[in-house]
Amino acid sequence: MSDILEPKSIVNKANENIELVEFDEFINNINKYETLGVGVIIKPSDDIMLLKDSLYFIELVILDFNNFDDGRGYSQAYFLSKRWGFKGEIIGINAHLDQLQFMLRSGVTSYELLEDYKGFNEEDYSNGFSICYQAAANNSGLREKY
Amino acid sequence: MYQYSPEDSEFLVERVDQFEKQLNRHLSGDLDEAKFRSLRLRNGLYMELHAHMLRVAIPYGTLNSIQLRALADVADKYDRGFGHFTTRQNIQFNWIELPEIANLLRELSSVGLHAIQTSGKATRNITADPLSGLTEGEIEDARPYCELIRRWFNLHPEFSWLPGKFKIAINGAKLDETALKIHDLGLRLVRSDEGEIGFSVFVGGGLGAAAMVGAETASFIPVEDILSYLESVMRIYNLKGRRDHQKRLRIKFLVRELGAVEFSRLVYEDWLQTKDDPELKLNLIELEGLKKDFELPIKPLPQAKFIDKVDFNYSIWKKNNVRSHKISGYSIVNVSLTKLGAAPGDASSEQMRILADLADKYSETELRTTKRQTIVFPHVRKDQVFDLWQSLEKYELASPHQGTLAQIVACPGGDYCDLAKAVSIPIATRVQKRFDDMNKLLDIGDLNINISGCENSCAHHHVADIGLLGMQKNGEEYYQITIAGETLHETIIGKKLGPSVSGENVVDAVEEIVNVYLDNREEEERFTDVFKRIGINPYKEKVYE
Repeated sequence: MSDILEPKSIVNKANENIELVEFDEFINNINKYETLGVGVIIKPSDDIMLLKDSLYFIELVILDFNNFDDGRGYSQAYFLSKRWGFKGEIIGINAHLDQLQFMLRSGVTSYELLEDYKGFNEEDYSNGFSICYQAAANNSGLREKY
Repeated sequence: MYQYSPEDSEFLVERVDQFEKQLNRHLSGDLDEAKFRSLRLRNGLYMELHAHMLRVAIPYGTLNSIQLRALADVADKYDRGFGHFTTRQNIQFNWIELPEIANLLRELSSVGLHAIQTSGKATRNITADPLSGLTEGEIEDARPYCELIRRWFNLHPEFSWLPGKFKIAINGAKLDETALKIHDLGLRLVRSDEGEIGFSVFVGGGLGAAAMVGAETASFIPVEDILSYLESVMRIYNLKGRRDHQKRLRIKFLVRELGAVEFSRLVYEDWLQTKDDPELKLNLIELEGLKKDFELPIKPLPQAKFIDKVDFNYSIWKKNNVRSHKISGYSIVNVSLTKLGAAPGDASSEQMRILADLADKYSETELRTTKRQTIVFPHVRKDQVFDLWQSLEKYELASPHQGTLAQIVACPGGDYCDLAKAVSIPIATRVQKRFDDMNKLLDIGDLNINISGCENSCAHHHVADIGLLGMQKNGEEYYQITIAGETLHETIIGKKLGPSVSGENVVDAVEEIVNVYLDNREEEERFTDVFKRIGINPYKEKVYE
């Protein structure tokens, strides 16, 4: 079993170190975090709807995909990316190789694979198709047939 | 019928390539069994009692002769010369070797067949009335909608890891051959007072240990808006469905726990946010193209005086197996695969090739599969029905059982399935032997007996006139009996008759139930109508006296 990430901070694309807070901590202390520019870690069981009005001051969002069979993260990514147009990074952690295509198309902007998958060709799973049959948050590189 | 475009075929090949990589990682120990299980199920691959079973999709039950021959080749090359047509219009192969799967799928992809999402916690094959487009009084042929919706949820990024499996049926006809209200989601094509076509939506139906009839969540969703509405249903399910209890995974439990009104409200509120998104509007140009693809390949024949052949066996077969077609000069022919001692729905590779050849000769190359595990020839000239019957007779495919009690629906049961609690096929055989008098079968008429070997209810026993559910009691096989279920005219879950009956006595019990029906029937009354009139007690008295 590979090590599961439980990060306390993360470096964003601009190379800034961003402090991360758990979802419950964030929701219970929203005022405290309004000016701090933190990232929020969301687990599948967290109610993403509670985050909607706070997105404008959240630096980035971490979605946890550790549980292979739990698909709630894909809907969470959809809400953030497509429904609410969140401009910050949406990072999938504890990601599985075989689910990259679903994560990326649902709106996840970058990911950290679990250790188990190091050494495999990610392209085969993040970009293994030339066509898609439905609208999604991110269909880049795909011919759309719908 | 719809043929896959080159880009559809490319998609299938890419999917096989990806699955092959996953399979190789598993075989080399780099992908654990739990994750591989989840991935292989999404490719229709089960580990059964004796070997791997592969379920191949037959979307909306429509096949051409080339595809059926390819399935026959698979049966010979990768199985033991047999395939099994299922109650959801698919076909299964029971003796597949794991390392050969990719080559098998590659061969099928060359004729537009695949196993994508025929299992697992995702949207399954979409089923339709096997007579779609063939009968009078339809709102529309449902298959173009099935195809568009099937595609939309094919490897859908948001909804491929749902809490449980998700089965959809779509019906456009007056009678419901699809049993749509016992599906996770059922769509009924309807026409508004203004003449606009749309869908009534039913959610949360299902069989199993907690059989439920789907609740209507919307009475009219315009065609153009159906994709956004379905996405909202799945989104609410994906986020709120139970994932903590293995026996509460299906959407029916969420609908029950929230209540249909609250569930419908949540779906509606989500839908209001997306219904006007142009990306989610159903592509009406594509729909029109598909309607052309599904146009019937026949035109009305001149109304020449036609006198059919006179033959006793032919007449019986014709009465049970042939229906009128909406195009004049044509008939619909239903071929029963029922054979004593064999699993209902089983077909040998030889039978598949014969059926393919006969489809070429008599049915414009087209065949349909049905939830009663039969094969339909949809377009047979009336003046060729006798010739077709003679050919079927020659190959022992002219069983006149269609529409009679002997056309039993049964799952593979304890003989093949590791989930089963009791056998199904031997019980079906004993019932068929008990009712082997064709005159009596004709007198009884259309009476369904469905036998499931466990609570998963693969044979849909809850919605049969007589349903048998296999179970274990003190190490022995028993059968719980339900009666008067149906889906054709209305959807009714059958009533439990009483304590389960031993395997030894179950056929006697079935005979008693049939006799109560016959003794109380008035004219052409159906089984369910007699039950409504006389209630359950006369049946209980006879079975348990």
